[in-house]
Amino acid sequence: MRAALMHTDEFLRGTGSFRPGAEAVRPAWWLPVMILVLAPIYGAWMGSFHFDSPERLLQVAYSAVKLPLLLFSTSLLCLPGFFVLNTILGLRDDFREAMQAVLAGQAALSVALASLSLLTRFWYYSCTSYRSALLFNAAMFTVATIAGQYVMLRYYRALIRRRRYHRITLYAWMALYAFVGIQMGWILRPFVGDPRMAVTFFRAEAFSNAYVVVARLIFG
Amino acid sequence: MIAWFKQLDDLLRGRKTAPDCLAEGRIELSLRRFAPLMIVLGATYGFFMGWYAILGREVPSYAQLVASTVKIPALFLLTLIVTFPSLYVFNALVGCRLSFIAMLRLLVGAIVVNVAVAGSLGPILGFFTLSTRSYPFMIVLNVALLAVSGLVGLTFLLHTLRRLAYTPPRPAPGAAPDAANSGADAHESASPPVVPGPLDPVWAEAPAQALGQARGIFQIWVIIYGLVGAQMGWLLRPFIGSPSMAFEWFRERQGNFFQAIFHAVQQLFDAA
Repeated sequence: MRAALMHTDEFLRGTGSFRPGAEAVRPAWWLPVMILVLAPIYGAWMGSFHFDSPERLLQVAYSAVKLPLLLFSTSLLCLPGFFVLNTILGLRDDFREAMQAVLAGQAALSVALASLSLLTRFWYYSCTSYRSALLFNAAMFTVATIAGQYVMLRYYRALIRRRRYHRITLYAWMALYAFVGIQMGWILRPFVGDPRMAVTFFRAEAFSNAYVVVARLIFG
Repeated sequence: MIAWFKQLDDLLRGRKTAPDCLAEGRIELSLRRFAPLMIVLGATYGFFMGWYAILGREVPSYAQLVASTVKIPALFLLTLIVTFPSLYVFNALVGCRLSFIAMLRLLVGAIVVNVAVAGSLGPILGFFTLSTRSYPFMIVLNVALLAVSGLVGLTFLLHTLRRLAYTPPRPAPGAAPDAANSGADAHESASPPVVPGPLDPVWAEAPAQALGQARGIFQIWVIIYGLVGAQMGWLLRPFIGSPSMAFEWFRERQGNFFQAIFHAVQQLFDAA
C-alpha cells in the first residue's frame, strides 16, 4: 500500500521511474492499474447522489464500473487510428512512449478525479438539486482533464523535441478522444442518476447521438 | 496473411518509399500484393459503413451491408481507372522519368495508405453507427473520416513524388539521413540513423529537378482525382442507405456530391 502511494506520488511529480524521457523500468501495467483502481473511486462517489435507499447502492456500483469503462473503451476505439497515424508519420519506433504518455494522461485524470471525489460528495450534501450535481461533476471533470493534459504534455514534450510530428499525433489523439469520449459518456449515462428515475445501467431509451441532441437543442 | 500485413506495415512505415529505393525511379510495390490489400482495406471501411443499414432502420437491409462493402473498394478502383490514363499520357508528354508501371504502383500505394487510414478509423465509425439514428450525422461523419484519410493518402503521394524528384548525392558514411533530425538531442545521435517516415521532408529544400513539369501535372491531377472521386462516390450511392428508402444498388442520377453534402450539414442543424 505504502509502495503504491509512493509510486503515485512519484507519478504526480514526474520523478523516479515516472520521469518523462526515462527508459521505462517499471512494469508496463502500472498506469492501466492506476486507472482501474482510482477511476472507480470517483465513480462510486459520483453515483452516491441522493443516496437514500438501498436501491441507490446499485447506482454507486454502476458508476464505479462505468467510469473506467468509459476511459478504456474510448481509448480502445481511438487506438487503431492513432497507431496508423503514428506509423504513417514515421513515429512507430516511439509508439511505446506515445502510448505511455496517453495512458499517463488518463492515469493523472483518474488520480485527480479520485482526489476530488470527497469534494463532490460534499457538494451533494450541501446542494440537493440534480441539475447542480450534474454541473458540479462537469466542473470536476474539467479540472481533472486539465490535470490529465498537463501530465500527458509532460511526456509528450520529450517526444516532440525528438520528432516534431509528435505534435500532430498528440492533437489528433486529443481530437479523436474528445470526439469519441463525449459520445461514449452520453451512451453510458446515467453516471449521477436522476433521483426521479429508476436505477439502470443504461438509460431505458434507445441509444442516441450526443452531437445530434446538442445541435437540436441549439438550432431546433 | 502475416506477409501481407508485413508489406502493408513496410509501406506505412515508409520503407517502401525510402529514399534509397526511389533513387533510380524504382518503386518496389508489388501490385499483386497491394491491389488486393487496397480492396480488403477498402472493404473493411465499407463494412463498418454498412452497419447503419442494419442498425439504423426498422427492417435491417443486409443487401446494403454487402453493397457498402463492395462499393468502397470499387469507388477507389474506378476513380483510379478513370483518372490514371490521362495522368500517364500527360506525364509521358512532358518527359517524366516514371514508367507506366512505376506510376501505377505509386498511385496504388497512395490509395492503400488512404484506405488503411480509413480502415483504422472504422471502429470509431462503427461505434457511432451503433449509437446514432440520425442519417445526416452519419453522412457528415463518413465524409469527414474519408476526407481525413484522403488527405493523408494524397500527402503521401506528393511527398513520395518530391523524393522521386530529387536524388541526393550519397550521404557521407555515418551521417544521419534525416535532415529534419540533425539537430536532435543526445538520445537521437546515440541511436542508429532513423529511417525517415513516409511523410518526412527529406531534402525539402531540393529544387524540383528530375520530375520537372511532371510535379505540376501531379498537383493538378490530385485536384482532378479528388473531384472525380467525390462525383464517383455520388454516382455509386447509396453507400450508407437512407433509412426512409428501400434498398437499391444504384440511385437515379440527379444532383451532385457537393450539393448533397451541403444539404446534409444543413439538415443536421435543422429542427428535429
